[in-house]
Amino acid sequence: MAIIDPIVNGLNSGWLHTDASQLQANQQFEADVIIVGTGAGGGVAAEILTQAGLSVIMIEAGPLKSSSDFNMEERVAYPNLYQQAAAMKTADKAIGIFQGRAVGGSTTVNWTTSIRTPTEALAFWAQHKSVAGLNRESLDPWFEQMEQRLNIHEWNYEPNRNNAALKQGCINLGWEYTVIKRNVAGCWNTGYCGMGCPVNAKQSMLVTTIPSALEKGAQLISRAKVTKIEHHNGQVFALKAQALDVNLRPTDVELLFKAKHYILSAGAIHTPTILIRSQVPDPHKLLGKRTFLHPTLLSGGVFADSINGHSGAPQSIYSDEFVWKNDADGELGYKLEVPPVHPILIASKTLGYGASHAELMAQFNQLQVTIALIRDGYHPDSQGGEVHLTPKGFTLDYPLTDAFWRAARRAFASMAELQFSAGALKVLPISDGMPYLSSWKDAKESIAQMSLAPLRTIVASAHVMGGCPFGEDEKLSMVNSYGQSHYLENLSVMDGSIFPTSLGANPQLSIYGITARNATALAQKLTDGKG
Amino acid sequence: MKRRTFLMGAFAGTAALALGVNLYSPEFSLPEDSEGKDYRLLFSVLLPVMLDGALPDVATHKLAAQNRTLDAIKQSITVLPDEQQTELFELLDMLENRLGLLVLTSSMTPLLMRSPAELTDMLETWRHSYFALLQTAYLGLRELVMASYYACPEHWSRLHYAKPELFN
Repeated sequence: MAIIDPIVNGLNSGWLHTDASQLQANQQFEADVIIVGTGAGGGVAAEILTQAGLSVIMIEAGPLKSSSDFNMEERVAYPNLYQQAAAMKTADKAIGIFQGRAVGGSTTVNWTTSIRTPTEALAFWAQHKSVAGLNRESLDPWFEQMEQRLNIHEWNYEPNRNNAALKQGCINLGWEYTVIKRNVAGCWNTGYCGMGCPVNAKQSMLVTTIPSALEKGAQLISRAKVTKIEHHNGQVFALKAQALDVNLRPTDVELLFKAKHYILSAGAIHTPTILIRSQVPDPHKLLGKRTFLHPTLLSGGVFADSINGHSGAPQSIYSDEFVWKNDADGELGYKLEVPPVHPILIASKTLGYGASHAELMAQFNQLQVTIALIRDGYHPDSQGGEVHLTPKGFTLDYPLTDAFWRAARRAFASMAELQFSAGALKVLPISDGMPYLSSWKDAKESIAQMSLAPLRTIVASAHVMGGCPFGEDEKLSMVNSYGQSHYLENLSVMDGSIFPTSLGANPQLSIYGITARNATALAQKLTDGKG
Repeated sequence: MKRRTFLMGAFAGTAALALGVNLYSPEFSLPEDSEGKDYRLLFSVLLPVMLDGALPDVATHKLAAQNRTLDAIKQSITVLPDEQQTELFELLDMLENRLGLLVLTSSMTPLLMRSPAELTDMLETWRHSYFALLQTAYLGLRELVMASYYACPEHWSRLHYAKPELFN
């Protein structure tokens, strides 16, 4: 059965796409609005602004890949679709970061979990971060709109065994659990969302808002990396970009973009990086600081029966039992989820080598993996990381603080308790030096004593947030609550970089909903309400 | 100076990598002196230790799997960002010269002449070291080897795993 590739069809029908790797000479582009980045923020903004009758150009540093390219193999997906071939790490190498880099951004490779911004986060932003007008009542209609647009519904099929173990453990222990809402339509339940959906069921930006914008005449420039914002007297007058070749190395071709309005949607690392490199006004030194990751711990449970964590919707259950257990700015909370289990992912994110590692890998199909995503950015000892420029790019320093390690110890204990309760024969906290634990009693004692440290304890992240916060107080924020720059009149930011803390929830729906609100307001402003 | 860069910068982790494709090679070109150099001999010494228990038991199959992994490692390196490549080559260069070996392993004996037990000792010393430099050297080599080995579908039989066939 052949799968129809909507991108191939769209390109054949005349969509305006320029692959900058094919350009031989410098070129200039003009539109009403230029959007940098095509992920959750850029994709939604592009559709809304195009529908308002504005001409739009989307610029993406990654390549345009589509279902014909998605062959369900990590060795192809990681270099094609992820930042730094999925090998990106913090400066000290202690945290591995997964972030998308292709048309559709991280939405092309995420695991489809769609959660509205938690009420606790919105309240904290209003009270402590000067964010105005974003509360349950004002935002929920925007979430409803985006849920409808992206077919976000509760996953009403049987969870796969990996998620079912999380659910069963929660039931046995009386812990909260929630059935996840997913942005899919006609999902085949195969489990390969992280490698690009091979059947176009995932309603990522790649197959929804971006095609919709292109249908209405928007332009897409792929393999072009924005290097500088040219600004003067509080106005942006151009963006400069470098064309990249097919291997994403810079070519000699330079691109210039001019517009009435510019939107940065390059994600929580690259949006601040572009702004810092362009020396935009930042009198309170906020740019690139307070970068949040939901730093994540892993726990492996070996079961007697087949778990087959590679198969089926990768995330369909989560538990918020521990996310907001303490006050928002109290001891750090953590969200419990499961990841898909694929060969490179598990081989890399486990411990040791030789016989012990081979033994773990031989139990691949019996392995249930639970993850705990730590809610960072609220506690005084959890202030996130900082992006620094280097001659060739950037580094991200992210100190793992005492407050983080206290939360990590609690999280390892919760995960082990959950896995034993769900029927695990043994549990392995993924931190070097820990043996397989044989019972919850054994685990409780061992985890209380375990040594936790950067590089010894595996820490990963798939949620980069912050670095260009929104709010009304210029001492706390770079852009206002509508994403409009405090300093450059015709510049907005619409992506995860505006979050002044982490979310305590997977970020895609927060970005969709808040961008829908802010891009709609911008469209009205730019069209004088005539759109 | 090169060694100093490595010592200061610490060594790259290389999580999830590619093989058989070379569509992503960000930023800048390989360091000139490393172009074309694949450190095959060095890795051929390390693979039997790092993949002990994972490699096939039958000798001919084992050799084929090692060769496949060496090819995969070469491909994996090509998709790493330039800064990570530079750090990796610095580490590999150090492991190929006696002074570098002395710094990293307190011995000048070439790796080729060390027994599997001695190589395991070296890896364990790095793994449990208090120096971030040695820990990151261990983690970087470990992740490069594991990611490259398990990138290959022909190495999945012990996992009892195969990707689904959707389109037949």
